[in-house]
Amino acid sequence: MLFSIVIIPVLAAVFSVLLPARLRGTANLAAHGVLLVLAGLLAYRISGGSGIVAFGGVLRADALSAFFIFLISLVNLAALVYSRPYLQEDIDGGVLSVRQARGYDILFNVFAATMLLVPLLDNLGHMWVAVELTTLASAFLVGFYNTKASVEAAWKYVIICSVGITLALLGTVLVYYAVAAQTDTKTLDWSVIMGRAAGLNPRIMSVAFLFILVGYGTKAGLAPMHTWLPDAHSQALTPVSALLSGVLLKTSLYAIIRFAMITNKTMGPEFTSRLFIFFGLFSVAVAGIFLLAQKDFKRLLAYSSIEHVGIIVFALGVGTPLAVFGSMFHALNHAVTKSLVFFAAGNAVKKYKTHHLHMIHGLVQALPFTAAAALVGLLSLVGMPPFGIFMSKLMILSACFQKGLYGPAALLLLFLAVVFGALIYHVSASIFGHKPKGVEFGAEALGMKVVFVCLALLLLLLGVMMPTPLQTLLISASRLITGGGV
Amino acid sequence: MTLFLLTGIMILTYAMLVCHRIPALIQNFRLQSLFLFLVTLDFAVRQKEAGVFVVAGLLLLVKVILVPSFLNHLVKKIKVDERLGLFLNPLLSLIAALFLTWGAAVFCAWLVSDSPVVVFAAFVVSITVVMVGFFIMVFRMKAITQIVGLLVMENGIFLLASSIAGGMPFFVEIAIAFDVFICAIITGIFMYRINKVFTHIEVHRLTDLKG
Repeated sequence: MLFSIVIIPVLAAVFSVLLPARLRGTANLAAHGVLLVLAGLLAYRISGGSGIVAFGGVLRADALSAFFIFLISLVNLAALVYSRPYLQEDIDGGVLSVRQARGYDILFNVFAATMLLVPLLDNLGHMWVAVELTTLASAFLVGFYNTKASVEAAWKYVIICSVGITLALLGTVLVYYAVAAQTDTKTLDWSVIMGRAAGLNPRIMSVAFLFILVGYGTKAGLAPMHTWLPDAHSQALTPVSALLSGVLLKTSLYAIIRFAMITNKTMGPEFTSRLFIFFGLFSVAVAGIFLLAQKDFKRLLAYSSIEHVGIIVFALGVGTPLAVFGSMFHALNHAVTKSLVFFAAGNAVKKYKTHHLHMIHGLVQALPFTAAAALVGLLSLVGMPPFGIFMSKLMILSACFQKGLYGPAALLLLFLAVVFGALIYHVSASIFGHKPKGVEFGAEALGMKVVFVCLALLLLLLGVMMPTPLQTLLISASRLITGGGV
Repeated sequence: MTLFLLTGIMILTYAMLVCHRIPALIQNFRLQSLFLFLVTLDFAVRQKEAGVFVVAGLLLLVKVILVPSFLNHLVKKIKVDERLGLFLNPLLSLIAALFLTWGAAVFCAWLVSDSPVVVFAAFVVSITVVMVGFFIMVFRMKAITQIVGLLVMENGIFLLASSIAGGMPFFVEIAIAFDVFICAIITGIFMYRINKVFTHIEVHRLTDLKG
């Protein structure tokens, strides 16, 4: 089962090379549909029970990996369905050639395969390679249009993330050294290290974790290492922006969480907790400041991703079972919401032929369906009830108060208020108002409408009630992270 | 033997900072990789492990032969000005590198206080190489220097892995070598594209995206 999750997108990539356009679309859709079902089954099978291994122990999944696999497959499928009509418009408009569309399909599947690989690898060295491969696979998708801006964005993306990742490798080597020095076993297998974590040298582990946090944190979009993120997110193809923001950042977070689990076992949770709270708050603050002054629609959403990653990391820092549960739940909510808003923003940017927020007005008159999706997504993004993000933010904040962290909670609320104001101010002006003269009324393709409706319903569902299987999965995942009962 | 090789790597690392031209920098990187290969080979001979020999061979193939040749080929193909464009002149760069080494020594003395001299030296040299790699990325102007800087950083980490922890597990080493190779190719392709759309490869002039 684990093996098939990795091999399906690889096969889809091969089919994308071989098949003609129409069959290719169907094959990809089928592949990613099956993938989502498999991910759901995996999550269902593992949640509540223990982990499973495959392929001689190289692949390993527990509740935490199953949750991330599910997240990735979900956003992947949504992005795939959305990208059909999106690319078709580009082909019809002469922006892309048919050959480039094939290239997109191949890269999309390779990117998906590398992302799905990250949570499945037990060996921390292999995991590092997989994370670096996600950067390399997506770099071409960021620079896809081959314009000045997109090439610049892709360059910054590859270089900054590779430097970050290199620091993470340094951290990985230090962990390896700590394990080899203390226990005379040469291994990077997470499950083995976890069993011996208690006896490792705390000094080396603390330095190693710092490198890991800064290294993978660069890729996760934590401030102040976030500088590549707005460029890459704004220049990538819209479905890819959604993938970058919704799940790529989270695969790096996953790597950080795995190392934090080891570090916590060696030296207690206070060390990682303080770092998480600091970086989390700092990211939300930086995002808030840049959001206030933002003029570009897609960059606005990119900064909002930094904010949400900050919230997730902050919650991990609070560290109580409720906070960690909220953190994982927030990751899911953010992935769904951000995909929805990015898709809507992509449509708007295409319709108005500009990224500039001051020139996008009256979306509700030009593209009513997209405008509705953008509105739902926006309200959810800023944390209005009855959507999922409201619930997860509520959990995180109440966990914070329960633990007596009044100062950090107050700061978080303050920064969130800034973000709230900035997002509502900027985006509502674009959704409402009068559309400019040159912009005609238009309709979205059926595929896009389906994606919008499904994602919006999912958001609503997550806000009103939590399905029991999801709850079980999230509880067992957060139990793994906190290392104890809920 | 190890100390001798470490000294060699240290000298080559400093030499990178006084390079003025792109081919010289690439040649320096090639030599540094060669010394890294010798460290690994020395280790393989002492350990008598087949896996380490394979890793050493791979290192020779990827970092000494393929990647530098690819970079040289690319530089010739895009026909840019061969000067590196220094933000900081060689003398100041060297002084900065000395301070970095001193910092690395203090840091490593704190980190691994009770270890043998060879391990301590390896730690200091590796951390210095990583920091100098980063230094090259920041204080040189061209896109190619960022690629070389990144590779130098990776060399430093590889040195750390093979000299203090006795090399990483076999399949991890293979995967990392493969990854470094892909990374060099892809960044190379993007440098080619930058030259095509901007008609230069000076990274500090890529300032379209802001805020």
